[in-house]
Amino acid sequence: MQQVFKIPDCIKKDAKFTFCPGCDHGVALRLLGDAIDECGVREDTIAALCVGCSVFLYDFYDIDCLECPHGRATAEATGIKRARPDKFVFTYQGDGDFAAIGFAESIYTATRGEKVTSICINNTTYGMTGGQMGPTTLLGQVTTTTPYGRSAELNGYPMKIAEHIALCDGTAFSARVSLDSVPNIIKAKQAIKKACEVQIQGLGFSFVEILSSCPTNWKMTPQEAHKHVKEKMIPIFPLGVFKDVTKG
Amino acid sequence: MTKTLISGNKAIAQAAFDAGCDCYFSYPITPQTAIGEYLSEIMPKAGRGYVCAESEIASINMVIGAAATGAKAMTSSSSCAISLMQEGLAYAVGDELPLVLISVMRAGPGLGYIYPSQCDYDQAVTGGGNGDYRILVLAPSTVQECVDLTHKAFYLSQKYRNPVIVLSDGLLGQMMEPAEFVKYPYPEIDNSNWALTGAKGRTPRKIRSLEINEEKHNQNIQHLFDKYAQMEKAEVLYEEHNVEDADIILVAFGTMGRNIKAAMNLGRKYGIKIGTFRPVTLFPFPNKRLSELADRTKKFIVAEMNMGQMIKDVQIAINGKAQVKHIGRPAGAWLDETEILDEAKIMLGEEYAASV
Amino acid sequence: MEQSIIIAGFGGQGVLSAGIILANSFMLNDKQVTWYPCYGAEMRGGAVNCEIVVSDTEVTSVHKKETDILIALNDLSFNKFLSKVKSGGIVIANATLIEKKYPREDVKYIFENISDTARELGSIKAANMVSLGILSNICNFTDIKSIKQAIDMVLPQKIRELNYKVLDAGIKLSESCRKE
Repeated sequence: MQQVFKIPDCIKKDAKFTFCPGCDHGVALRLLGDAIDECGVREDTIAALCVGCSVFLYDFYDIDCLECPHGRATAEATGIKRARPDKFVFTYQGDGDFAAIGFAESIYTATRGEKVTSICINNTTYGMTGGQMGPTTLLGQVTTTTPYGRSAELNGYPMKIAEHIALCDGTAFSARVSLDSVPNIIKAKQAIKKACEVQIQGLGFSFVEILSSCPTNWKMTPQEAHKHVKEKMIPIFPLGVFKDVTKG
Repeated sequence: MTKTLISGNKAIAQAAFDAGCDCYFSYPITPQTAIGEYLSEIMPKAGRGYVCAESEIASINMVIGAAATGAKAMTSSSSCAISLMQEGLAYAVGDELPLVLISVMRAGPGLGYIYPSQCDYDQAVTGGGNGDYRILVLAPSTVQECVDLTHKAFYLSQKYRNPVIVLSDGLLGQMMEPAEFVKYPYPEIDNSNWALTGAKGRTPRKIRSLEINEEKHNQNIQHLFDKYAQMEKAEVLYEEHNVEDADIILVAFGTMGRNIKAAMNLGRKYGIKIGTFRPVTLFPFPNKRLSELADRTKKFIVAEMNMGQMIKDVQIAINGKAQVKHIGRPAGAWLDETEILDEAKIMLGEEYAASV
Repeated sequence: MEQSIIIAGFGGQGVLSAGIILANSFMLNDKQVTWYPCYGAEMRGGAVNCEIVVSDTEVTSVHKKETDILIALNDLSFNKFLSKVKSGGIVIANATLIEKKYPREDVKYIFENISDTARELGSIKAANMVSLGILSNICNFTDIKSIKQAIDMVLPQKIRELNYKVLDAGIKLSESCRKE
């Protein structure tokens, strides 16, 4: 009999995701778990996690994890990798964590070409604290700290994270993917797997930005939220691979 | 064993290397940059971790990452930049991670200047991070002690799974003295029961300070304070001279510990019964010994290159049993032996001075 | 017994390295020694100085108010540090750059053409060694043998010969003030 579904070894067998209904973190964790399993490195993996909904990974993953101050995961991943170059090291962060409070650490980890992987969930808001404006909040988007919608004059513009990371010479792979549809989920899986392989091959820093829905804070149904990703987010944050050193 | 004429900064760097420091991450700041320069030469050659980080926020977090894998990790910095590390230090305490921080004080507050100063006693001993916590603090006064206490810092950090600060200053960092580089004298501590190495053949480990269960949180903090109580029992270090018959005891830490000794030597020449007391561990502080000394001696002078920081700990230790006076200034020319002696004479009074 | 020495001049005169060589020579004679460079505004304008304290028991205080011996390699240092010399102390002054003057009567002056001597022997940069040669005649904690050994420890091979030569010239210059 052909097995068509299996919980990744990375994910605890008794794990029950506690994410809000329609949240894409669960899908992202599933894809990442599959990628790590397929690369055969689960037992050599150390994750660095900070603050935000992303930290629930602690509760669901069967791997070694380190708690880091908000934004500092890539610096701590650097320390882990420099101390143990033989380990597979990744960070799993939100957009605020990776690209606002932690952007200095993130961009320098890419610049140094640290052989670690960062996965960044971009849902255009601070989810855990209840939906404030983040670095990727869209112009016009209403959040608890932009009650009249994000205005460029007052709040500046949404940040294009994957493009910034792709500009760093130390980056080996940088891509933006989305979880709004099955075809995009398949592409997301390929990008995450590629990012893992690039680290294992020792080519440099690898990065995947994942456009994800946050129905609770967006005050939408899951279906509306995915439609919003497709119609509002993807035009601003185009999908694609911005850098891939394996492709010459 | 042969001695080498070497600066305090470089002595610390070499001692850290000899202690088996696996990873060193830092950002340059005067007056401690020589530590990073020295290690940038020898760490990569030895296949050990070295990163000139983009900031002190990054460097302390790199150190935490390395420490979490069981590596011996160190950073070094100074004053305003150590302010940037306070969050990381609090995490390292909460995560129970061993790390060594070399703090070479400059003058503050703010950017301050590179004049030598001892104005970061409070920063090191009471800290600026969040939460109930303590950090072991060792204060060398000679270049040889820079070597010995750096070794000790690595050992104690591993033994207690807690950060340790070696508190030096701009004077000690730059001064050269003959030092002997002895072999690392401490046993290696097994960390295989907690270090993150990948969950091969065992239950995965999560190193984190967050504890949602209130009762468990309180237990965790109590556990930290049990460790601190253990440190107070086992790790207190101090140096004292001529305290047995002293009518006045001069107290100082770090480099100022040398000048009170000079003042004592000078005073004893004139027949003034002066003793000296130098805490080597600033946490745990030698409360018990100071309290004993205050049973007999009723006058204490605390000499510091700051406006009065360690004096608070001395007062707590002495607990009203004796008179305690502070002398100091913020930075620059170290309090001279004649200045210190003059203050001692004033405190002892004219009658005393006339009698000797 | 303790002695403190200040070496002062401007950048390029080898002030710091002379201090380090001297401190090494003390160490070779099994003395306790502390060398330290001076800080702050004193570093500006190319002025450099260092202080060496040597003792046969223990070097206690540092950053001393007074010094036993001053080596002044330029006029600025002479004027600045003369007041720090203890009563009865010694001032070694570079007569090439400092006009002979005797503002204090309670110190002993040794004026010699330090820079000229070094220049004549091959490099004005070696002026610092002339001054150490002079010092070796008056300081009981060191001697010519250990200074030469210290030169080997501190300076690169290719300039050692020149420095020995200049050091010897310094000794000759001041033979008249040799220690007992």
